[in-house]
Amino acid sequence: MARRRVDVLVVAIFFLSLLWATPARAEIPSLLTPGVLTWGGDQEGGGPYVYPADDDPRRVVGFEVELADELAARLGLRARFLQGQWDRMPDLLRARKCDIVLNGYEWMPARLDVMEATIPYYVFGLQLLARDTGEITSWGDLERPFAQGRRRIGVLAASAAEKYLQSRPSLAIEIVSYDGSTDAMREVETGKLDATLQDTPAATFYRSRFPRLRAVGAPVGHGYYVVYAQEGQKALVRRLNEALLAMIDEGRIEAIYRAYGIWNDAQRELGDIARSGRFYGYSKEWHDRPAVTKRGVRDGPPERRVEITARKRGFEVVRAYGGVLLQSAGLTLVLSCLSFPLAVLAGLFIAMGRLYGPAWLRAPLAVYVEFLRGTPVMLQLFFIFFFLPEVGINVPAFWTAILGLSVNYSAYESEIYRAGLSAVPKGQMEAALALGMSRPLALRRIIVPQAVRIVVPPVVNDFIALFKDTSVCSVVTLVELTKRFSVLSQSTQATTELMAMTAVLYLVMSYPLSLVSRRLELGAGKAPS
Amino acid sequence: MIEVQGLCKRFGAVDVLSELSLSVDKGKVAAIIGPSGGGKSTFLRCINGLESFERGHVRVGDDVLVSSDSARQRAERLRAIRRKVGFVFQQFNLFPHLDVIGNIVEAPLRVLGHERASAVGEAVRLLERVGLADKKSALPHELSGGQQQRVAIARALAMRPEVLLLDEPTSALDPVMAAEVMSVITELASAGQTMIVVTHQLALVRAIADTVHVFAGGRRVEYGPTAAVFESPAHDITRAFLHKLQAW
Repeated sequence: MARRRVDVLVVAIFFLSLLWATPARAEIPSLLTPGVLTWGGDQEGGGPYVYPADDDPRRVVGFEVELADELAARLGLRARFLQGQWDRMPDLLRARKCDIVLNGYEWMPARLDVMEATIPYYVFGLQLLARDTGEITSWGDLERPFAQGRRRIGVLAASAAEKYLQSRPSLAIEIVSYDGSTDAMREVETGKLDATLQDTPAATFYRSRFPRLRAVGAPVGHGYYVVYAQEGQKALVRRLNEALLAMIDEGRIEAIYRAYGIWNDAQRELGDIARSGRFYGYSKEWHDRPAVTKRGVRDGPPERRVEITARKRGFEVVRAYGGVLLQSAGLTLVLSCLSFPLAVLAGLFIAMGRLYGPAWLRAPLAVYVEFLRGTPVMLQLFFIFFFLPEVGINVPAFWTAILGLSVNYSAYESEIYRAGLSAVPKGQMEAALALGMSRPLALRRIIVPQAVRIVVPPVVNDFIALFKDTSVCSVVTLVELTKRFSVLSQSTQATTELMAMTAVLYLVMSYPLSLVSRRLELGAGKAPS
Repeated sequence: MIEVQGLCKRFGAVDVLSELSLSVDKGKVAAIIGPSGGGKSTFLRCINGLESFERGHVRVGDDVLVSSDSARQRAERLRAIRRKVGFVFQQFNLFPHLDVIGNIVEAPLRVLGHERASAVGEAVRLLERVGLADKKSALPHELSGGQQQRVAIARALAMRPEVLLLDEPTSALDPVMAAEVMSVITELASAGQTMIVVTHQLALVRAIADTVHVFAGGRRVEYGPTAAVFESPAHDITRAFLHKLQAW
């Protein structure tokens, strides 16, 4: 009888919540792509958050992937992952490149000035990990002065762990920042670091990969992962909060976390904090909403278990990741081959403008060249991708890369061309003019062809440099070869094999260019100096 | 045919050319001689606009280049004048990226819009005329200096210039190569090509020039029929200059 009453209650609440949710659905705010929830994360951060799938490294898996998929589904949307650089996530949001950030981002009051936050989806702590040889067995060991100076502790750059360590001046340590969590773990194993402080999910998930690491003491600190949305997207946050709360109440969160082995008692707090209104962005009605009876989760072992497989080695790595590396090399190739001709062409016109153009054009061109040569290409990409949207110009990532690289390199190419054009003897222009040619015709037929021969070697040299410079495009969410290497190396620890493959791919792409350059150089060498 | 009147050019406070006048009739050859730095080359370069001038004018046929022309007028007039006036440089200035034929046909093709076949045919005839029929597809750096200068002359002739200006055409050459080039120029003169030649080669002047003009310090100190100037120079500078050259 009692059981039946519960069922009725559940059904009633289910329908009530449907009624309650329906009007809200209509107020789903403007998404980047209608019907799609674009969420930002960085696979380089590694497991268990977002990482390349074992069977298909092009696909991402992780507890946050499952979370995003289910949240989107509950909002009647499809989830789409956007790869970005972890410390740039707030910029991605501000530039409206994604709808939400869901990637181990801690709830911090300072962030609320620029973003909207949901209720927490995970309660994390910070776990100190050290070698199992027993030099460090407690936090107290870190306070004691150490014969070889300060202990070196690795952390994820800009993470909660970094801030935690910075807030404890009594520790006799040196903080070393990394872009991925497993790099730091490996360096502890190899002895370059003395210990690493990791968010509990990463520490738990990678335990099997780093058998020589030992947890030191209990987790410290206490923080909440939340989903961030663009400033002002209150309606979206509200819908996400509803969905999160429902997932917590229905045990879906627990099921996912158990699968990744990251469920613990601290998570029991999740529903309570939400309801007690301890979080920014809660309205009173959350407080009044009754908890839905838990369903679907039983005590005991989880229905499924996501675990990291054993580390692949040797040719296994080549087989498993060769394809995806090759694909990323393809992007590197496309980026270089599209942006470089543009750079060369623009550079040629800039050089001609500076040498032969009207006086009013020369100063601005000089400023253009000096400005672009004097600032890093990374900053320029950043400007195009993250700043231009604020003034209403939204350039997609791929074209940002093409534009940024070609504009940056056009400055270098123009200087090479300027030198090349100046190196053509003055008598050549005079001879052409004396034959009745116009200046433009003389430039096109007589001067530029000679300058081109002079500049071939330095220009090809720049092309090879550009190949490798494409790696900065990862700041604008493109996964080219170097970024793919970093991502795979973080999640697989097959660093040596991946590094060798990546190096070979770069070589295979750039060496033919060197050969072409050498041939052209020999050909140009025939001409008199 | 060609007439320069009152040409003045200043460079800062220095008068490079002052009140220079010179005219050449159709089919005649004028030679400009004089000590180095006397403004000979500058004068020649003013005629086809490679140098600007402050006063005076240059008339070639019906086209007049005046110092007061605006930039646009000047460009227009220069184009017209340059089509009528060929120029041979001391340093040849062949286009190193084009072969011999390419050097010769470039302007006829691109400036006059001639058909390639006829331009190439004309180029071959010109090469025969300067004695280089076998060098059609050589690149400039494969030729000797004398051969390069002869190609340069053929290149200038390909535009069928009414007047040919030669700026010390043999000064960069050794005596043997200079002789090759001089014989080509002599042949042109006897064929009735109107020319103004700046040179130190008195033998060449004697052989081809109808009039001689002696420039010194940016002025024309003396001029007249070749024989008259050579036999009885009126000016001290001419006498000293001729004496110095002949003493060699």
